[in-house]
Amino acid sequence: MSDVVPSPRYAARVVGRNARVFSKLWKGALLPQFLDPLFYLVALGFGLGTYVATINGVDYRDFLAPGLIASAAMWAAAFECTYNVYFRMNETRLYDAILATPVEVQDVVAGDLVWSSFRATIYGTVFLVVVTAFGLIHSPWAILLPPLVALGGLCMSVIAYTFTALIPRIDLYSYFFTLGITPMFLFSGIFFPFDELPGVAEVIAWFTPLYHSVEISRAMATGPGPMVLVHAAWLAAVSAALFVVPVRAVRRRLVA
Amino acid sequence: MSRSELAVTARSLRKSYGERVAVAGVDFDVHPASCFGFLGPNGAGKTTTMKMIYGLATVGGGELRVLGLDARTQRRAIKSRLGVVPQETNLDGDLTVMENLLVQASYFGIDQATAETRAGELLAFAQLGDRAGDAIQSLSGGMKRRLLVARALINEPGMVVLDEPTTGLDPQARLAVWRSLDSLRRRGVTLLLTTHYMEEAARLCDRLVIMDEGRIVAAGEPATLVREHVGREVLELRVTDECDAEALVRSLDGRLEGHDFTEDALMLYAPDAEELLEAIDQRRYPTESALVRRATLEDVFLRLTGRSLRE
Repeated sequence: MSDVVPSPRYAARVVGRNARVFSKLWKGALLPQFLDPLFYLVALGFGLGTYVATINGVDYRDFLAPGLIASAAMWAAAFECTYNVYFRMNETRLYDAILATPVEVQDVVAGDLVWSSFRATIYGTVFLVVVTAFGLIHSPWAILLPPLVALGGLCMSVIAYTFTALIPRIDLYSYFFTLGITPMFLFSGIFFPFDELPGVAEVIAWFTPLYHSVEISRAMATGPGPMVLVHAAWLAAVSAALFVVPVRAVRRRLVA
Repeated sequence: MSRSELAVTARSLRKSYGERVAVAGVDFDVHPASCFGFLGPNGAGKTTTMKMIYGLATVGGGELRVLGLDARTQRRAIKSRLGVVPQETNLDGDLTVMENLLVQASYFGIDQATAETRAGELLAFAQLGDRAGDAIQSLSGGMKRRLLVARALINEPGMVVLDEPTTGLDPQARLAVWRSLDSLRRRGVTLLLTTHYMEEAARLCDRLVIMDEGRIVAAGEPATLVREHVGREVLELRVTDECDAEALVRSLDGRLEGHDFTEDALMLYAPDAEELLEAIDQRRYPTESALVRRATLEDVFLRLTGRSLRE
């Protein structure tokens, strides 16, 4: 177990490294990513939403906006723990350098995951502020949303990190994004509810992390019920259960 | 010297990757404040041995103690006291030259103020004082190597492990790295390096082992190894097709300390190679060219393995 449980002290140093790089880059290369969810809001909320006035009595824009907070976080986590981690691990060989210091594999993975979910939270929270300014948030509970966005980001990060740790070639990400992330984005209840669909649709969605993040987000934006805790527990349990997989896979790859 | 005082002790150290045996049972001792070299061709097991020492490969079998600690169980403690210059240039390309050192310091838990002082000193040491704010991509190959050496020193390690520190560098850049290693040794830092350059091993190492196919084939001081296995001088002959090289060797019986055939040359070892050359009957044994030179570690390798070290 001692080679699976991370040291918070050492993991924090990996977070520090990633945060330092982000603080240098966000004003330049990363800025467009913040605009991504805004385009969906404008095109669908204010474009399509003009024709689809309400969903189950809720204004379409109010329905759409909270889901886009969750997906903004998902996209950020997915990119961080796929391409960014892949490059550090396999191309620039940065992890070889870090692992030659007192930092161990489990600290690197934990540090990367904490950073990735924090980054996801930044993107989700920025969009929360934007949609609040548009007047699309109707509950003061939304102020508690960022830590829950972090949890959704963490779960997405562990899944993406696991994929990264297991694939032999970078081109396999096309499977991850085209068959995993994009369908999840479209079918997790962000754009339409499950009420009128066959029950199986919601059952499938229930096994994806984004569905739970969207449910949490929408509940906090309108006034939450106890189900929020169930969704949060799902995200926490999957994150914790999966953590050991990338740790073992990265160790096999780098410290054989 | 007792085992706990030695910088590194390896006993029957082994490592396999699947079917492939990388290190096939090696024994060696590294004394503190010395420079110890691993010499051998690519694939000899040098890098794997080094990686087991600095914790990027697990110990496959046998015993390995580094700075008095067990490499199997005390990896974190060992790594906190080592400096590592890897074979690949793995600097952090998202950070500047100075930031590379500061972030490296953070991995060791060195506080910000100390890190800044040390980083400044190390950049001066690596002759990169005026490049502190520059991007890694703007550095030349030699500068990157010097920065890797500086990075390895941020935690003031008692031992620095260098895997092929000058491979791919031009002569001036190589000399600059050698000078910085000399100055570390004068300060009492233990150096452990791999190389496939003879002159590098001969110039830097107090002791070295020659490795081939996962085993140590010779160990000792460079000059002693050359004297014991080869002798003082070498006459390197390129003979024509008509020349019967075997007969030539027989004709010199009594004058030779040994000989080897390589693909394109005949190596004759003797105390005085000039004298030997004069003794050869050029009409019976026509030669294309003859080179008289001092014996080197390269000849030791050829003597011991029957193969040339150059690849």
